[in-house]
This record gives sequence, C-alpha cells and structure tokens, in this order.
Amino acid sequence: MWEETIAAVATPPGEGGIGVIRISGPQAQAIGKKILRHPSGKTITTWPERKVRLGVVLSSAQKVIDEVIFFFFRAPRSYTGEDVLEIQGHGGQKNLELILSSAMAAGARPAEPGEFTKQAFLNGRIDLAQAEAVIDLITAQTDLAHQAAQEQLSGRLSAYLRQSEERLLAVLAQIEAALDYPEDEIPELDREEAGRTIQEVTEELSVLAEQAEKGRILREAATVVLAGRPNVGKSSLLNRLLDEERAIVTPIPGTTRDFVAEVSNLRGLPVRLVDTAGLRETSDPLEQEGVRRAWGWVEKAELILIVLDAAAGLNTEDEQLIRQVKEKKRVFIVLNKSDLPPRLTAAGLAEKFSGLPVLTVSAVSGEGLEDLQEKIREELVGKEFGRGHPVMVTSLRHKDALERAIRYLQSVTAGLRDGLSEDLLTVDLRAALEALGEITGRTVSDEVIDLIFSQFCVGK
Amino acid sequence: MERQAKIYDVIVVGAGHAGCEAAYATAKMGFRTLLLTLNFSNIAFMPCNPSVGGPGKGHLVREVDALGGLIGRVTDLAHLQMRSLNTQKGPAVQALRAQVDKRRYQEIMLEILEREPLIYLRQGEIIDLQRAKGAAVSWRLRLSTGIIVEAPVVILAAGTFFRGTVHIGLTSFLSGPQGQHPSVSLPEKLATEGISFRRFKTGTPARLRRRSLNFDAMKEQPGEETPHGFSFWIPWKPRLQASCWLTYTNERTHEIIRKNLHLAPMYCGAIKGIGTRYCPAIEGKVVNFPNRQRHQVFIEPESAGTDEVYVSGLSSSLPEEIQEEFIRTVPGLERAEIVRPGYAIEYDVVAAEQLTPFLQLKDCPGLFCAGQINGTSGYEEAAAQGIIAGINAALYLKGESPFLPRRDEAYIGVLVDDLITKELDEPYRIMTSFAEFRLSLRQENADLRLAEYGYRYGLLSKDEYGRFLEKKERIQQIQTALEKTAFDPETEAGRKITGQAGVVLKQRISLAQLLQKPGVSFQMLQEAYDELPPVKDEGRVVENQIKYQGYLAREAKMAARLRKMEEKQIPPGFDYNTVPNLSTAAREKLARIAPLTIGQAARISGVGPADLSALLIWLEARIKR
Ligand SMILES: Nc1nc2c(ncn2[C@@H]2O[C@H](COP(=O)(O)OP(=O)(O)OP(=O)(O)O)[C@@H](O)[C@H]2O)c(=O)[nH]1
Ligand SMILES: [Mg+2]
Repeated sequence: MWEETIAAVATPPGEGGIGVIRISGPQAQAIGKKILRHPSGKTITTWPERKVRLGVVLSSAQKVIDEVIFFFFRAPRSYTGEDVLEIQGHGGQKNLELILSSAMAAGARPAEPGEFTKQAFLNGRIDLAQAEAVIDLITAQTDLAHQAAQEQLSGRLSAYLRQSEERLLAVLAQIEAALDYPEDEIPELDREEAGRTIQEVTEELSVLAEQAEKGRILREAATVVLAGRPNVGKSSLLNRLLDEERAIVTPIPGTTRDFVAEVSNLRGLPVRLVDTAGLRETSDPLEQEGVRRAWGWVEKAELILIVLDAAAGLNTEDEQLIRQVKEKKRVFIVLNKSDLPPRLTAAGLAEKFSGLPVLTVSAVSGEGLEDLQEKIREELVGKEFGRGHPVMVTSLRHKDALERAIRYLQSVTAGLRDGLSEDLLTVDLRAALEALGEITGRTVSDEVIDLIFSQFCVGK
Repeated sequence: MERQAKIYDVIVVGAGHAGCEAAYATAKMGFRTLLLTLNFSNIAFMPCNPSVGGPGKGHLVREVDALGGLIGRVTDLAHLQMRSLNTQKGPAVQALRAQVDKRRYQEIMLEILEREPLIYLRQGEIIDLQRAKGAAVSWRLRLSTGIIVEAPVVILAAGTFFRGTVHIGLTSFLSGPQGQHPSVSLPEKLATEGISFRRFKTGTPARLRRRSLNFDAMKEQPGEETPHGFSFWIPWKPRLQASCWLTYTNERTHEIIRKNLHLAPMYCGAIKGIGTRYCPAIEGKVVNFPNRQRHQVFIEPESAGTDEVYVSGLSSSLPEEIQEEFIRTVPGLERAEIVRPGYAIEYDVVAAEQLTPFLQLKDCPGLFCAGQINGTSGYEEAAAQGIIAGINAALYLKGESPFLPRRDEAYIGVLVDDLITKELDEPYRIMTSFAEFRLSLRQENADLRLAEYGYRYGLLSKDEYGRFLEKKERIQQIQTALEKTAFDPETEAGRKITGQAGVVLKQRISLAQLLQKPGVSFQMLQEAYDELPPVKDEGRVVENQIKYQGYLAREAKMAARLRKMEEKQIPPGFDYNTVPNLSTAAREKLARIAPLTIGQAARISGVGPADLSALLIWLEARIKR
C-alpha cells in the first residue's frame, strides 16, 4: 500500500546501550539484503518472521559498520502494517547514523517525525486517538509524561469530561425542548441556575486547560539554562544534576566553549538542562561564539539559573547580568561553592534582588541540590502537579479544544446575564459542546435530541 | 393482449400533501402530469391533526411558499385560527401555527389543481409497475381497472398507504388511514425492483362530537387579535378566529390506561413497526413519564362545516371502549361521544438512504419518492419533499442539473439531507434544533432565501417575482436609511426612544447602531423618523439582520466551511473496504448510504471524527499518488 520505504532511528537520541533503526515499507527486505550479512560474511537468503538474527551491517562501500541483531516483520503483522526490518545496533549516535545512511544508500527515505505511526494509522493498525497517544508516548521521556500518555490511551480524559458535557447538555436540552415545543409544558429556563452550572463547568475546564500548559512541558521538556560568569561552577552543577560527568570541568575560567544540552529526568519531569559558556568580554573568537550561543539559550529558556561563586563575591558584571535577565525571564540565583568560606550570603542577595529566589548549593559536597531540584520542578509545574490530579491533558489539540470551550461558555454566561434570547444562547452553548466533542468524540445534535425526549414529555 | 398505454410526462402516485405539491410543480414547469389518487374525495386530506405549522414545520411552510408551492396559500385560505409561537424567544424560533378547516383545505386544493391545464386528476389503484420496453427508461403502470398509463417519471407519494395496517386494541386489519383503501400490490412490485422498505408506525386520537362536550370545564384558547398569514404571495385575509380548548388528563385517566396496557397493541407485541418519539400516544406518555400527574389535552375544531373535533394529546390505539372510558375521565369530556376511534397504523416506508439528495431512487432512473413514504411524519414535511421531488422530476426531464437548497439555505435542505443520511429509525419530524444554521433560516426571510429559485424554475409568476424584487429594494432602502441617519437623542422623539429602551448614549451613533441595542425596535424608530417607511415585514427583516449580525456572520463562516466539506467529493462506487482504520460500524454505514461528499459522510451517525480523518487522509493519499 505504501510505495516508499522509510527509515529512521527509532530510539530517542543521546541514550546509551542499544539503538534501533526501523525500516518500513515494501523495500524493507531488499534493503536488508543489500546492507546486512551473516557474521561470517555470507549473504542472507532466508527472512523468517519475528526471529532474532545476528548479523553485520555494511556501509555502501561494503565496510563493516557494526555488529547487530535484527528482526523481520512481514506485512501486515508489523507495527506499521508494512514490511518492517528492525536493526539493533550499538547505541552511539554516530554509529546509528552510519547504519541509517547505509539504509538510505540502499533505497530508503528518511522518515518524517511520527511517520511510522502515521503508516500504522493508515494501515489500520491503530486508531487516531491511539496514534496521538503513541506520538506522545514516543516523545514522552519520563515517568510522568508516560503516565499522561497512558491515561489518554485509556480514555480517562474523555470519561472525566463526560460529566461536564452532561451538565451542559442538560441545559441545552431544556432550552431546545422549550423552543421546539412551545405548547408543551416545559419548565421555564432558570437563568440563574443555568448560569451557576455553566460557571462551575467553566471552572472545571479551566483547571484542565491550565494542566494542559503543564502537559506541554511534560511532552516537550522545559529548558533550564545554567548561566553565569566563568568558573562559577556551571559545568560542575550540570554534571551533578545529570548525575553523569557530561561536561568538562577544570579550574581554568573559560573551559566551556560550546553549550552542552541534555534532557534529564528531574523528579519525573523531563527537563532540558543547558550548560553554557561563562559570560564575559573576551577577544577569543571561539569563546565569543560560545558567549553568543549562551545568550541564545537564555532567550529560549523557561527558567534560568544564574550561578554565582559564593567564595568569589558579587561583582558588577554579575549584578548587571541578573538585572538584565530577570526583566524577561524567570530567574533563580544559585549560590554555588557553599563548602568554601563565603563572601556572599543568601540573605544578602535576597535583599539585594528582592523577589528572586536564592538557593545555596555546593556542586562539590552536593549540599542544597535536592532542594534546587524540587524548586525547579515547583517553578515549572507547581507543587501539586502529578500528585493526584485525576487527569492530565498533554495534547495540544485537546488543549486548544478546551480553551475554545471555555471561551464559548464565558459568552454563554454573559448572555444569560444580559438577557440574550434563548435561540442565541444555544449558539455558544452548542459551540462549547462541539469543542468538547472533539476530545470525547460525541456528537451534540444526536445527544440533545435523545435527552429532550427522555427528559420532557413532549409531542401530541 | 398488450393494451395501449396513456402516455404522460409525469405520473404522481398519491394526491396527499406531497403529491399535490409535486404535481403542481411539474405542471407549472411545463409537463403533462397525471395525478393518481386512490379516492378522488380524499385529495389533500388531513388524516391527523387539523393544524399546520409550529417551530420548524411553520418554517417549512414558509419555504415551500417562497418557492411557489401551495401549502402556505391553502392554509391561509382555509385557516380557522392563526397563532404566533415563541414570540418571546428570539427571531429564529418564532413560528406560525394554524388551525385549519380540513374540508375547506381539500376544496381549495382541489380548486387550484383543477385550474392547472397540465394536471390530469384521476382515481385509480396501481396494481403493477414495470419498466417499459424501449430505449429510454419509462415506467408502465397498470390500474386495477385495466387502464395502463406510462411516463418517464413517476413520483411515489403514497403516504402511509403502503401495506397499511390499522390497529385498534387487539383487532387489526389492512387499511389506509381513516378507513381508506390500502395499497398492497404496488409496494410488492417495488420490492421486485430491489427497493427496500422499513416498517413504521404512527397514530391518531379519537374524534369527538362537539355538542357532547362541556366547554365550561375547559380553558378557552382564542385566536390572536391581529393574526398573520403564511403566504408571501396572496393578500392576507384573516378569517373569523375559532377557539381551541385546553383541558387535562388526571390520575384516573392514567389508571385506566395502565390497567389496560395488555390490550394496547404497542405494548402487547401486536405492533412491530417503530413509532415516533415526536408524537407519542397517551399510552407511551403514561408509561414513560409515570410521575407526571396530568397531560395537556387540546380540543381543536376539524372544520367549520362539521361538529367533529380533534382531541390533541390523546392519541391511542387501545380498544375503542377503553378509549371512551379514559376520555370520559377528562374534565369537560365526561359525556364525550366518539365519532371516530383513535388508532395506530403500521405502514411500509422506503428506506430513504436509497434516494439521491434530489429524491430520486438511486437505482431506478425517473422514479422519485416524496412525503411520508420516505419516513417523515407531518403535512409540512410531506409538502416540502413534494415540491423538491416535483422540481427535480421536471429538471430530470429537461436534462438540467438538479436542485436542493443547502442546509444553510433552508429547512428543506436540512430535512432532505437528514432523510437520506440518517437511516431513520423512527418517523422524522423537523425540529429547529436540527438546523445548524438556525439563526439564518428564519421564517420572515424565507422568500429572500428561496424566491429566486421559485422564479427560476417557473413556480412563481412574473408578477409575484416583481413584487419580491420591490420588497428587496425596500429592504435595501431601509438598511441604507438606518445607516445614514444619525440618531439625535436631544429631540423629543429621541428622548422617548432612549427612555423606552433604557439606553444611555455616550457618542453619536447611527440609527442602525441604535437598533443593535437591546430594547430598541424598528417600530420605535419608524414612528420617530420619516425616512423610514411604515412597512412591517421589511422592517422585521432588517431589524433581525442588524440585531443579530454578529451571530449571522458566524453562521456564514461556518456555512463556508461546510461548503468546503461538501466540495470534497467521494467517488461514486467508492470501496470503503480499501480504507483501513474505519470502525466497523462506520464502514458498514458508509457503504450503505454511499454519501456523495465528505460533508454528507460527516453527518452520518456512527461516523466519528476519527473515521472521517481516516477517510480524508486516505482519499488525499490516493489523489496524491
Ligand atoms: N569548592 C568547590 N569548587 C567548585 C564547586 N563547583 C565548581 N568548583 C570548581 O570550580 C572550578 C570551575 O568549575 P566549572 O564547573 O568548570 O565552572 P564553569 O562555571 O563551568 O566555568 P566555565 O566553563 O569556565 O565558564 C572547578 O575547579 C570546579 O572544581 C563547588 O561547589 N565547590
Ligand atoms: Mg564550564
């Protein structure tokens, strides 16, 4: 059904262990024949389904790139519904890219983001809601995000919204029944009561919509940038927070030239931590470029940790930096090297930069790091997040639908207050229900009619 | 021996509310039309309530009238009472309802049809239908008397007559409505043409003798002081407004019904056909709403010429003596004499998804269906389909492109689209809540929406069209005058208006802007400003357009989106099995209904947004390749 064969690295980038290259489409087996050999070097002639096989991957120049294991899945019994070849190689980014480019040379085209899922959807392997959730699941990098993706898969969001929908439908049905059966005995619409119902539903939806903003952070990972003068300990802090010697640390100021960005699991929250070059005036063109990039990250960040050296004291550059950044971004002052005799105190800084949180830490002893992580998390998604709210909204499409529903309900509220006639009130009420229906998949018109006839004895 | 056939352009089967409109339309469009009826005395007969209109239904009447059809004119000429409904509820749902003199209605309709030179009225029962031999498709019908008639177009408008079965208590017998002859052979012949049917059920209450009732125990419902009419075209002459009367059932009534449910064909299993929630029998109301202590009963006159009255609200198919028993528990009806019992009727309806949007059977060229035979209930719904079938039959003969107003143009469009898309599981009655463009489809602007078509197809005369253009012109003038004239709050008239409406003005505004404010009406402005002519109808149109312009703009936007969806066509004969990922229910329905566009597919119940995306992506992927 699919004419082209697509290929991509199917495991998230930048993680160790093994990596998977997925090749999907009618050419999958032919491509496998070209690039795979038995460890002995012999061509592979049989392609049993779903069997673990050992092999080596050749480059287009017929050089061995990697030892791998591979699986073959025959259409339609594969994830995408097409012929699929999965090659598990050693996880380094470079290595996987080599395997991928060999597959390209053999006739595959690079897959667009989400294209495997799209294939799967078009081939009837999964439905639209599942497809969306799977895409979220793929991009979800940590536990909480995973949980949100799972919940969506199981339709908890729909079930949760159902209550709101039903309350709105009841109001709508009453209005409609009276409009279409003016000579039957339908109770007059109690505008105040209807107003209260609408108000309550609006509030419930607003809570969800706010959660949705945070849901975005879950899916896309918030960016937290470490910035500050050279040698204050940014790279050391990054390594500590990642729990991995990712960035080079030396006593020499100006060690970090290019930025280091890494997604980490910050108490269940995916956070992209970025270590940047120390900010200072410099004539070294390489370092200048590093400083420029550092400023670029500051622009993009959700939160900036301005790192100070407690033992070095505060100079005018530090002060200027803090004032400059806090104008446009959320800022934490991180007072590092607390293990050394201090020339700066948290209290002093807090007073000087009133309003900014000041956190005392030591990248060497580890003091204050837990607290720092907790505060970052709180700042990004709030204290209560992920702790017991019944559902979470992570899809942008859902968030958009919720926000539209809220806007429509606000005009219903205004209309009820201003004495708007019933036929006009229904316009926004219906629009709100239709927006919710985009999430729950329910059609307003049928449900309203059913409700009219089950709730009211109309017709002669 | 092969007999000589009488040849017509069009044969309309059935002279009820659909058939009359259809025949009138084809005749007006220049085609020799045979209008066949089982009983010549029953042309345009109203077998159920003596009333026309109401929300949705009244809109349909206005629309048929705007197109040049008959129901509005005849109702105006035959009304016994006119009421405006929903006057406090906003312009979109305001509607007229008429009590109609049934006998007069028939007489006037007959008079109009008899005046049409191209209409041939004839009594006869069809016992055979076949495709005539020959190159062009033509239909050959044999009447029970041996006469053979033939035409390239046949419009089936047989109402509830197809294999009609009447139930009263545990007795049931083959019958059309109100003791008329049923039609048994024709549906069988149609079945051999591959047409499939559903079995529906409807019912009607008993009729009582007026002089056996005690009106002192009921509440009078008089007509209005200044009643309005339906028709855009004939001069409105209100007739003497007759009254209706309101009374109520009570616990005793319900008790009797409950005790006798085992004799109710609806509950003892005698009726297999599906009834409608829209016009429930009293049995249904008592069973489904056990907590209601009373139900309304309206006594409505059937005709000025008879003593027969209709008991609205007490539709029933219980045995006649039980009907009498429970009717007599109702205040004012204690000594009521039944002149006709209520009954339920089961009948065959054509499964309407077999029809094109132009009411032609997909697999039978030249065979059209209109009215209750398509599964609707109500005279108005029937008339609306009648005129659409008639116009399209004529266009088919002319070889011109067919006609159906869109959902954003007319309730008629909503009705027909619903019929062919929804796979009805009960008789269909129009409701304003079905119209997603309800604010645009108002009764007062029906002519603005449809008269152009009526004239184009030849149903409206030059004179009528001329008057319509003048009216449009006046509307334009009023609109301009309102926009150009500044409101002066300092004059006496100005103070009066601001006082009446309770508006406070901070800056200078035009009369049009003033009219947007709640509480300000065109009439108030008209009385104060000489620039504005004293024309009520036109004033109302402009007033509604100005007051609701924000909403109307929104509907217009929505309509544009809908039109886009309607433009995405699904190739005929499209195989839904090739589309993966459709839910099984959606796949089956799509295959059965075979929608012409994505827009129509979207309205099929059971076809969810996910199915639509799958379908859209798939169609697009195929186009791309
Ligand atoms: N005692 C102590 N030393 C620290 C601490 N954090 C960092 N250092 C030391 O400070 C020096 C500079 O650390 P880096 O992490 O490279 O500092 P940086 O801010 O990344 O410097 P640039 O990359 O040059 O901008 C190193 O010698 C670290 O060992 C701390 O908490 N306590
Ligand atoms: Mg560094």
